[in-house]
Amino acid sequence: MFREPRAAIVFLAPALILLGLFRVLPAAVSVGESLMGLATPPTAASEAIGASINAGVGAAAGGPTRAFVGFSNYRHLFTSDPVFWGSARVTLAYSALASPVTVAVALGLAFLLKGSDRRRSLLRTACFLPSAISMSVVAVVWGLMLDPYYGLVNSLLRAIGLPPQPFLNSPRQALACLIAIAVWRNSGYWMMFFLAGMQGIPREAYEAAALDGASKSKQAWHITIPLLARTVSFVLVSNTAFNFLTFAPVFILTKGGPIRSTNVLVYESYKSAFIGLDMGRATAISSLVLAAVLLLSLAELRLTRPKHEY
Amino acid sequence: MSGIPSHANMNRSIAVRLAGTIAREGLFLLLAMVYILPVWWVVASALRPASSLYQYASPLTWRTFVPSSPTLSNIMGIFSKLDFGRAIANSALVSGAAVALGVVVNSMAGFALAKFEFPGRSLVFLAVLVAFIAPFDAIVIPLHLVVSRMGFLNTRAALVLPAVGNGLAIFLFKQFYEEIPSEIIEAARVDGASWFCTFWRIVMPMSIPAAATVVVMLFMFQWNSLFWPLVAAFSSKYRVVQTAIAMQITADEAHWAYLFASAAVGSLPPVALFLLLQKHYIRGIAGGGSRSETAGRDGVDR
Repeated sequence: MFREPRAAIVFLAPALILLGLFRVLPAAVSVGESLMGLATPPTAASEAIGASINAGVGAAAGGPTRAFVGFSNYRHLFTSDPVFWGSARVTLAYSALASPVTVAVALGLAFLLKGSDRRRSLLRTACFLPSAISMSVVAVVWGLMLDPYYGLVNSLLRAIGLPPQPFLNSPRQALACLIAIAVWRNSGYWMMFFLAGMQGIPREAYEAAALDGASKSKQAWHITIPLLARTVSFVLVSNTAFNFLTFAPVFILTKGGPIRSTNVLVYESYKSAFIGLDMGRATAISSLVLAAVLLLSLAELRLTRPKHEY
Repeated sequence: MSGIPSHANMNRSIAVRLAGTIAREGLFLLLAMVYILPVWWVVASALRPASSLYQYASPLTWRTFVPSSPTLSNIMGIFSKLDFGRAIANSALVSGAAVALGVVVNSMAGFALAKFEFPGRSLVFLAVLVAFIAPFDAIVIPLHLVVSRMGFLNTRAALVLPAVGNGLAIFLFKQFYEEIPSEIIEAARVDGASWFCTFWRIVMPMSIPAAATVVVMLFMFQWNSLFWPLVAAFSSKYRVVQTAIAMQITADEAHWAYLFASAAVGSLPPVALFLLLQKHYIRGIAGGGSRSETAGRDGVDR
């Protein structure tokens, strides 16, 4: 350790300035802006006040005059905004389903593909590959695959004698389709975390179990899974936070529909900001999402703080 | 039970083994199909004449996955008709800039946190951790307000600058530098090298494994992001690959052949970079993410 605070500051400054401007400030602006709203009625006097407040940060909307309205954006969201509640429900359902399924698939893949033979290592790369492809391309590809008329998946269903499905055109299936797409894209990524965790388990543990006559499945259940519990919970939490912020597939494939069945919060906030031009509502939703994700991530930090012990 | 196993038992154990092998091979085949076929299908379809796209998507035949008369016309088409070349150039420019700046800025910060003792150090580290966990996509809308207020909305800088400072990258560099013995740095200092010189000549050249992870991470993040470019750089002059692709499908009449072609071409750079730096990258994310030291020591892909 070197005790030269001045050098340390010089090394730190660029990163801290960038993080401050583009992470911390926006988070603060989000909260500040969510306390602003339309000044009503738009009289000349209030317009003057609004203009002076607009000289603050919120001039971007450029719309009607804005003023400090306290928590009324939040109050409105919670008491009389069924679209918000619907969106919150959709987001919760999406993360609550997508995360455990992704973790289960990733864990299964890790068990199946651990080992060093060439086939497994190729398959590991194949499973990881979708994570290198952008979510928008993945969404485009699956949109084409799930096309009700010409899509590959329905061709497959027809080929094995099953009736074709409407998939993304159906309010009952659209969210499930988005979840399947997320699982396909992300399971390989998280599989790598489990493989890394499995490598940390000492071989002696398995050797001892094998001497006691434990079968492979018993070893997996009594040694691998418990020793991997920490990694599993870490992946589960960070994946949940990740899923909370889903935007690209909704924007590209469903626009929140059909009948708002895929209208996740980040998309609702985007619509509010850039289509409804209601920055107060948009930033109130953003702030709530940010708070939820930060809470999840604090849990994540707690889970990972102590070093792993195997 | 002891002694020689009976015939029946032996046959059973062979049957069980056989069933296990068949099940495992079946699973492998299924996995390969589920993970590779969609990607393969996109590439095959991108190389198919636009007129015969629908013909082979349904019903399913082997021709669905093998273009009978491959053509580059779709790929040429996205460049000549959709200005995809500009999108590629823009993406390459902003991703390259973000990666270059990001490696320098974050490695410097990681170095300071790993090797210097200064007042408020743990506070700064906490701030970095918070920045690491405060996800970018959650602050896109207020970030748009901030950038617009600073007056550089709809420029290339708006795409690059917010992506440079990265808490996870700082964290990965810090972890890496903690392993470097301070004596090497001390020796350079005793020889009279400035801090800048020491960092540039001694520390940076040793950072390649950590830098490789950060390069892939920042590149993939920048190349693949859609939400921020969508709101920060809306003019077609600055359009990047992901927004160009998204624009096509949200257009009233999606052109399948061009969609396939742009999806295939647009995914090439991150996939190629990933395949190239795969080992480093996986070691980096798996080790840094779950903080299991063993991952850093051993890697996944032995």
